[in-house]
Amino acid sequence: MIRRKVVIVGAGPAGMSAALVLAQAGVRPTVLDENPRVGGQIFRQPPPGSPAAAAAPKDASARHGAELLRRFEAARARIELLNEAHVWGVFPERRLAIGNQGGWQVVQPEHLVLATGAYEYTPPFPGWTLPGVMTPGGAQSLVKTWNVRPGKSVVVAGTGPFLLVVARQLHAAGVEVEAVVELARRSEFLRHAPRLLSAPGLLFEGGSYLRELKAAGIPVLWGHVVFAAGGAEGRLQHVSLAPCDAEGTPDRARARTLETDTLAIGYGFVPRVELAQLAGCELVFQDELGGWIPRTDENGEASVSGVWVAGDGGGVSGSVVAELEGELAGLSIAGRLGLLDAATLAREKEQRLARLAPLRRFRAALDAVYRVRPGLARLAEPDTLVCRCEELAASEVDPAIGFGGHDFRTLKVMTRLGMGPCQARMCWPAMMRRIADRTQKSCADVGPSRFRPPVRPTTVGDLVQLIPFEDQADAPAGAGR
Amino acid sequence: MTGTAAHDPHDPSGRRIVVPGGARLAFTFDEARVEACEGETIAAALLAAGRQVLRTTERRDEPRGLFCNMGVCFECLVEVDGHANLRACQTVVRAGMRVRTQRGFGYRDAAAELGE
Repeated sequence: MIRRKVVIVGAGPAGMSAALVLAQAGVRPTVLDENPRVGGQIFRQPPPGSPAAAAAPKDASARHGAELLRRFEAARARIELLNEAHVWGVFPERRLAIGNQGGWQVVQPEHLVLATGAYEYTPPFPGWTLPGVMTPGGAQSLVKTWNVRPGKSVVVAGTGPFLLVVARQLHAAGVEVEAVVELARRSEFLRHAPRLLSAPGLLFEGGSYLRELKAAGIPVLWGHVVFAAGGAEGRLQHVSLAPCDAEGTPDRARARTLETDTLAIGYGFVPRVELAQLAGCELVFQDELGGWIPRTDENGEASVSGVWVAGDGGGVSGSVVAELEGELAGLSIAGRLGLLDAATLAREKEQRLARLAPLRRFRAALDAVYRVRPGLARLAEPDTLVCRCEELAASEVDPAIGFGGHDFRTLKVMTRLGMGPCQARMCWPAMMRRIADRTQKSCADVGPSRFRPPVRPTTVGDLVQLIPFEDQADAPAGAGR
Repeated sequence: MTGTAAHDPHDPSGRRIVVPGGARLAFTFDEARVEACEGETIAAALLAAGRQVLRTTERRDEPRGLFCNMGVCFECLVEVDGHANLRACQTVVRAGMRVRTQRGFGYRDAAAELGE
């Protein structure tokens, strides 16, 4: 087993910032990331030599990302980095099981920073499994990183300011953007205007995206929801949308159809908490932060001592907050390791906390406007798949809810929901809300899904290497634990 | 649409935003030759080639394509050189790679390919 002072999982803005602060403080942190290059989802780097790699950063966020990547590269000698390293399990005492890295089967750090990020939330609706329907981030990464248009035209739908970013990038890439379909109503902004002014820069950025879309003739349909997608021969051809009420329930009498070959649809993000859960950290339900998140103190330390959480994996708040949280966790660990004196630590922490406060107020106001609404939980019709992996239709799962399947384990045993390769990442956030809606329970009562190792695809070869050689002959029951 | 050349073998569908000048390679998808750029994922290369369906499902035999494009959803599973269940969005193309549409769980086709 390999021992390290600090291991950081994830090399997005939170993980990179934590590593930079620790390297500066004099500890050599170890960064594990499953991608071939650092940057995370938001600052994902295209392969060297590709047209996207040659392109100049196009906006303030991209320029900031380029600067962060440059600082990380400059500090590389003081950071141990393992790319394409998949953490597939966390075992007692912060022992991490790692795949795809010869010689690195298990590593045990004194401090573990989970900077695992988030993925997009798309609740099921009729037609959502058709090729051509994808997440906004998926479509964005195609044009931004891979130089490929997802289709000739696109409808961008769901909720959140990210939709505007994606619509703008797709338009700039030459995709015909038919419309942006936004669940929130424009009037809701006024109600939250005072808090939105806590971050005028970000507010201005959002406003400029809207003006750009307007100048390009792209309609933004506020208070609308996509309730179905249709097509033939395995591809998307049209989407149905309608104005909706404050609950998000579409008024189908006023529905219309847009022809398109691509639908980019997502309703915000879900924190990736599987490693925190395996590490034994207590999770709490915070709807506005994306659902279940590890409970932490103001420095990011979770309920398990020595386990820290930073960035969207600890609650979805965007890359600016993620960076500050990464720095805060890094500073606190440096303090714990005795590398910073109390006065310096207090001053450095205070700086970050002071910058975080208005950003969090802004984010809370945005979350109030761009919130997931209960009507979305009712979009699935009897024949709609609610578990994509196991191909379970709503008509197969709803009766199980009626018979008492109100939590993840019970429903899983009754229906196989969540037993496929995605390990319930895609189905459970939506099914939890469907159960809550049908049983009048709160999501906090319905509970999170239960991750089991391996949480990443792992080869038998990786599992076998974990068993000490002398045990292998007579211990098949212990294989893979 | 700017910067495209519909006749370019690397961009038969006109989906490339910029026709790349970097290193190129070829692989096969269901026995058909596909041109790709070095360093890109199978998913990106196939989409650029106009191939959207990456697998069909076990139970309903329905087509699936790229969905999350970040390795989370497992919808883009393909068979690569006889091995099933590789995520097209996370697997980088290599010259001569034999990629196939995954049918269901994929093992039967994969076994046939390995000659078992």
